[in-house]
Amino acid sequence: MISISPKALAPGSDTSFEKKLDLTNLTPEQVALDINQLNLFYGKKQALNNITMSIPKGQVTAFIGPSGCGKSTLLRSINRMNDLVDNCHITGEINLHGNNIYDKHVDVAELRRKVGMVFQRPNPFPKTIYENVVYGLRIMGENNRRKLDEAAEQSLRSAALWNEVKDRLHESALGLSGGQQQRLVIARAIAIQPEVLLLDEPTSALDPISTLTIEELINDLKKQFTVVIVTHNMQQAARVSDQTAFMYMGDLIEYSDTNTLFTTPLKKKTEDYITGRYG
Amino acid sequence: MATLISSNRSRGIKNSLAKWLITLGGISVLFTLVLIFMYLLYVVKPIFESAKIEQTVNISIDSTSNGEVLGSGIDELKELAYQITAAGNIDFYHLKASDPKAENQFSVGDNSLSTSLFVSDDFNQEQVVKVVNSFSENKLLHTAKGKTLLIQPSFYATYANDTREIIPQVNYPLGQESLIIDEQQIPLSQLAFAMDDERIVFVGFTKDKRLIKTSFIAEDDFSSSSDGDDVEYETIFQKVELFDGLSEGVIDEIKVTPDLSLAFIRSASIVYVYSLNDDEDVSLKATIRPTLDNDNTYLTSMGLLSGSSSVLLGDSSGRVSQWFEVATDEGRQFKQIRSFKSDDDQNSSNNNSQTSNAITAIYTEQYRKSFYTMTQSGMVNAFYTTSAAHLWQGQLTSTQPETFTIAPRANGLIVIVNDALDTTKKSLQAFSVHNEHPEVTWQALWQEVWYEGYPEPDYVWQSTSGSDDFEGKFSLVPISFGTIKAALYAMLFAVPIALTAAIYTAYFMTPGMRKKVKPTIEMMEALPTVILGFLAGLWLAPLMEEYLPAIFLLFIFLPLATLITAFSWHKLPNQLKDKLPETLAPILLIPVIILATYAAFSLSPLLEDSLFNGDMRQFLTNDLGINFDQRNALVVGIAMGFAVIPTIFSMAEDAIFSVPGHLTSGSLALGATQWQTLIGVVLLTASPGIFSAVMMGLGRAVGETMIVLMATGNTPILDWSIFQGMRTLAANIAVEMPESEVGSSHYRILFLAAFVLFIFTFIFNTVAEFVRQRLREKYSSM
Repeated sequence: MISISPKALAPGSDTSFEKKLDLTNLTPEQVALDINQLNLFYGKKQALNNITMSIPKGQVTAFIGPSGCGKSTLLRSINRMNDLVDNCHITGEINLHGNNIYDKHVDVAELRRKVGMVFQRPNPFPKTIYENVVYGLRIMGENNRRKLDEAAEQSLRSAALWNEVKDRLHESALGLSGGQQQRLVIARAIAIQPEVLLLDEPTSALDPISTLTIEELINDLKKQFTVVIVTHNMQQAARVSDQTAFMYMGDLIEYSDTNTLFTTPLKKKTEDYITGRYG
Repeated sequence: MATLISSNRSRGIKNSLAKWLITLGGISVLFTLVLIFMYLLYVVKPIFESAKIEQTVNISIDSTSNGEVLGSGIDELKELAYQITAAGNIDFYHLKASDPKAENQFSVGDNSLSTSLFVSDDFNQEQVVKVVNSFSENKLLHTAKGKTLLIQPSFYATYANDTREIIPQVNYPLGQESLIIDEQQIPLSQLAFAMDDERIVFVGFTKDKRLIKTSFIAEDDFSSSSDGDDVEYETIFQKVELFDGLSEGVIDEIKVTPDLSLAFIRSASIVYVYSLNDDEDVSLKATIRPTLDNDNTYLTSMGLLSGSSSVLLGDSSGRVSQWFEVATDEGRQFKQIRSFKSDDDQNSSNNNSQTSNAITAIYTEQYRKSFYTMTQSGMVNAFYTTSAAHLWQGQLTSTQPETFTIAPRANGLIVIVNDALDTTKKSLQAFSVHNEHPEVTWQALWQEVWYEGYPEPDYVWQSTSGSDDFEGKFSLVPISFGTIKAALYAMLFAVPIALTAAIYTAYFMTPGMRKKVKPTIEMMEALPTVILGFLAGLWLAPLMEEYLPAIFLLFIFLPLATLITAFSWHKLPNQLKDKLPETLAPILLIPVIILATYAAFSLSPLLEDSLFNGDMRQFLTNDLGINFDQRNALVVGIAMGFAVIPTIFSMAEDAIFSVPGHLTSGSLALGATQWQTLIGVVLLTASPGIFSAVMMGLGRAVGETMIVLMATGNTPILDWSIFQGMRTLAANIAVEMPESEVGSSHYRILFLAAFVLFIFTFIFNTVAEFVRQRLREKYSSM
């Protein structure tokens, strides 16, 4: 059971049928994130070259590309996780609701509340399952027990984990299996109701069955959130995403709806990659 | 197909060699630990052993000719014993000889010797009726006709034929003629005496019921006594005023303290204490009226404890009470301190065994606070007063012996007893006593003990003093307390600094800085603590005494200055900050700290003048009544804190630094600030490591020796005050071990202190490990 939140009925979500979006010409209501001429340098080395793209609301956008192509870096720059890296330096802008997130007045913590992130390796905190889920709410200052309980249940249901853990909410999260931990981390991320959910290779550390569960979950999540996923696995990108961006050596090579990209890629490099000539 | 047998023999050999070496190493470490543990216990064990008394010699004596035995004695090495008989003979017996038998001639090699003590014609055909003992070897013989002789049986060793031979001899310190104690020369019914180099004091009760005091005072006639042997004595006779109601009464017992200051005179159940200090006048100082169990109980005997501060009173119910002078609001008064009763007596005290339980005599040891009691039935009980220990109970002889003597070293007993079947026969029995550490009991070590002369029971550690009468006071409470106090003050200083430093270094510092800072602080650990100790004791302690307000100001100034600097740095415009090197911020702190310290020290005299009347130390002592030691817990806290900081810092920093980055990012990605992440995730995950770090620091502080030795003042007091010193277990062992006699109670108690220290650290480490494991189960991440 997925509970339907009001957000799920928002205008963006009913465009999720097979209707193709014109990615180069989205209306402001359709855009979740607008990346504009983004350049990123690690010290002297440039890792992203002039990326410009719009990520549509209520859809799953996948970043694919060979290792080191900058897809994770791009993902991390969306919630400014790159700030933690020394010598990282950014030009260009990423707009959320028309506001540049790199503007100096932006509260990074507030940004990350709106743009949640799930990492490659499951990283539950050494706390109970319950405390993990409500962690984001607690740091926002929410201490009302009833509200926390509600949010915990709702997020765990959304993450399709409720039935498995409802009887042991107050046991350590470290006792869960890898797949469960990853869904717990997703539940933790959605408990604070972000607008965008960034998934950084969320299934690469998991077994095929857990991977399948997570993929089904992603499909459900896009009803509520804009999802951006980085994946190594082209099949996964094809299965779960609506749009796919192919990146290579810090460049955005091709960005279109998933069907088009995988069936009739415009660029030679994309074709070479998806047909397995390198990667 | 190639075989699976290793083709490389040397690899196999190295492998098994390494395996054996590692196993050997591991086992030897465990073995050494167990060995240390066992050795400590082995040295400590004897102090908790109960006393043992066993018979070694039983010599049968034909007593028809000599009559009653009135006194007995033994030499220090327990080789010769003697008896003094009513006929005025002294008979020596070899105790080590294979076939001891009484003979009249005694020469080297013989087993016994009998000789008459009466050399002078004064004692022609006299019968001795009383032998009076003192705390020395001197004995006073008193005859039926009222004549008195002071004798001193003594022993010396010869080494004829290369074998040691103990030769007995009898000295007459006051000559061989009869001493005149009573001017009227009337026989005495009670007599006691004590002597020192200059005076001999006799207190006696004559048959015609006069209480007399007679003093022999040596005359300082340097010209005539050039040879030094013959000292002329001036005799002063005094009649002592009898106390009320004694005119028709009887004096049952008299004791004179060896320092010639007091005479205890027991008449029935009341003890009168006379002061003998004044040669002219003997005055009644106090009366002791013990509360007895019931109307049928009465005092039966009296004894003076070694050191002569305490008097022991035995009653007909078998109870012995100890009394000594205690300072009270009304001056010094005799008080009952404790009482002793053997367990069996209490069971049977209701029926008519009252008289058989009565204590007929109390025998005290010469150097220790132990005493033996004798009942009519010959039941012997041994007690130690201060520790209130009931050491031994049993029947040495079937009937009450005629004499009972404790060997000078308290390691043996000589008893002369009438044969139960043949009244003409007596036997001299020697017992060896194994009772080396009667003063040590678990209660004496850990509970309050009422020592002689103290106003109340107290925890005291005082192992040595200048006096021979001194009794070691071995309470482990003050020194264990000192250990904990020193450790706690050190932790109070070290934990906040070490942990915040660890958090800053691991979590906020740039990697480049961290690489320099961490080894630098760890290097501090290599600083010999003896240097910290003497710096603390010789430089910091006097400095603190002089600038006491500055020290307290520093506790406010330094954090404040640091915070202000950090805040100003934070407010600095970013453009400017980007241009400055990032290591500048911590370096900027150095002048700030120096300035703050300088400010504190220059403000110190001003503060003293305005708030503390010019001298804070004086102010504390005079106005607030707080004692101030120069070497106090504050000095130790800071000095030992410095020693402990690197330990805590290093381990805590490692723990915080090794918190996986994905947990930190996980928290940050949820919108947590750095601070929230630190508190909610980093510290939580690192908590097992931080906890171990703190416990390791505590363990180090507990075991630390040199700093506390040099900076605490080593005063074993029970006081939490920050301005008072303390003595710790470790420092105590270091200070006292070189001066303690091997095998003595003091020596063994120091080993016990080491064992307690061992247990302390063992408990800390076990608790630390246990909690750490629990925390790790709960909080450690993948």
